[in-house]
Amino acid sequence: MIRGKKPAPVFLLLLVFFLAFFSGYDLAQQETPEEQSQAAQAEKEQEKIVSSPKNIKESTGLYVFVGWIWLAVFVLVFFLRLKIKEVDRLNRLGYFSNKKK
Amino acid sequence: MKTGIRSWLDERLGISSIAGFLRKKMVPQHRHSLWYYTGSAILLFFAIQVVTGFMLAFYYKPTLEGANQSVARIMTEVPLGWIIRSIHSWSASFMIAFVFIHLLSIWIAKSYRRPREFTWMSGVFLLVFTLASGFTGYLLPWDDLSLSATKVGTDIPRSVPFVGVWVTKFLRGGEDVTGDTLTRFFSFHVSILPLLIFAFIAVHVYLIQKLGMSLPLSVESKKEKVKELPFWPNFIYREMVVWLLLFGILMTLAIFFPPSLEKTADLMAPAPEGLRPEWYFLFLFQTLKIFPPKILFINGDTIAVLLMFAAAILLFFLPIIDNKPAEKKGKVITFFAYVFIVFAVTMTVWSLL
Repeated sequence: MIRGKKPAPVFLLLLVFFLAFFSGYDLAQQETPEEQSQAAQAEKEQEKIVSSPKNIKESTGLYVFVGWIWLAVFVLVFFLRLKIKEVDRLNRLGYFSNKKK
Repeated sequence: MKTGIRSWLDERLGISSIAGFLRKKMVPQHRHSLWYYTGSAILLFFAIQVVTGFMLAFYYKPTLEGANQSVARIMTEVPLGWIIRSIHSWSASFMIAFVFIHLLSIWIAKSYRRPREFTWMSGVFLLVFTLASGFTGYLLPWDDLSLSATKVGTDIPRSVPFVGVWVTKFLRGGEDVTGDTLTRFFSFHVSILPLLIFAFIAVHVYLIQKLGMSLPLSVESKKEKVKELPFWPNFIYREMVVWLLLFGILMTLAIFFPPSLEKTADLMAPAPEGLRPEWYFLFLFQTLKIFPPKILFINGDTIAVLLMFAAAILLFFLPIIDNKPAEKKGKVITFFAYVFIVFAVTMTVWSLL
């Protein structure tokens, strides 16, 4: 009776192994913690929303926009430098101190 | 026509008296004058924060279900939404950086001396409110990282004896970080803190106008006559150059390095790996991390938090502590400013490694 019960677990194990083998499941396919972490990271990256231009048109538009901003900045700085020179000259001449009085 | 409009407005608003005041106001010119520009840079970034903040508030929903989705919508559907969010985020970083630079420059130049004690104290309040704005704004996207960082951040006061637990509960709106914390932080971020910042900026600027711009101790002790420039228009034009360059840098960074958004926060999920606060809290975060769990039977966190609190109190009362006459002022307090800079930079770099 006891001897007759022994093959049952072995049989079940073999059955599971063959079923798994023939269903294409690799029993050795246990993910290491590193692989799991990489998979989680990849999943996270997929879920992350990153703001970026969607196509080449938008990308070019952004470069043009940044270029335009810096061009505007430099032009305005150029005119402001002229104004600074002018008001400094007036200050040296005492124009503003005369105005204060 | 132009003169007519001006006189019409002047009769009602008294513009000529303001213009007259600005013309009379003089700005000292010396080799440390560069630091005067940091104050107006803070105002520039604060103004950008307010404008972009209003724009974001049109679409943002401060609810558990809507917060992350509404930010995702701003980033993907709203025209130029991602740029506006990026400008808001970057200008917050710039504003905090300039608040630190401004405060340190005043500390090193000893410009907090009599009679400018209240100017300094209002500035310390502004630093606290600005950092609080950054902290409350960090939770609003309601993603995993912001939730975990807020859990850690709001848990820090718990170590303080007697009032700590109450402070944590007050910040969270309960025992844990929930939807109530989100609405509470939103309310602080968009109404209470901006109002406080406005009020304290008003006090700060008023005191600067009343007491005039300070001279660094090193310049004042030379007893030579310092060259001065009229605030209007000479100094304002120079400030405009700085504003334009800073605006260009801000826009470039905002366009090429926009912040991303992670998936909606899961209240039951464990803290994600590599949890870090924003860069301006990294030195505090690292300081807390390096403290041992127990020091002489006392909780290490409690000692760390109490030390930080004591440092903040000392910073606030700096003009009272360092109240000797100008000629007798030692260099110890200035030395502490350099120690603080080295400490903050070292801790930040260590935290990033």
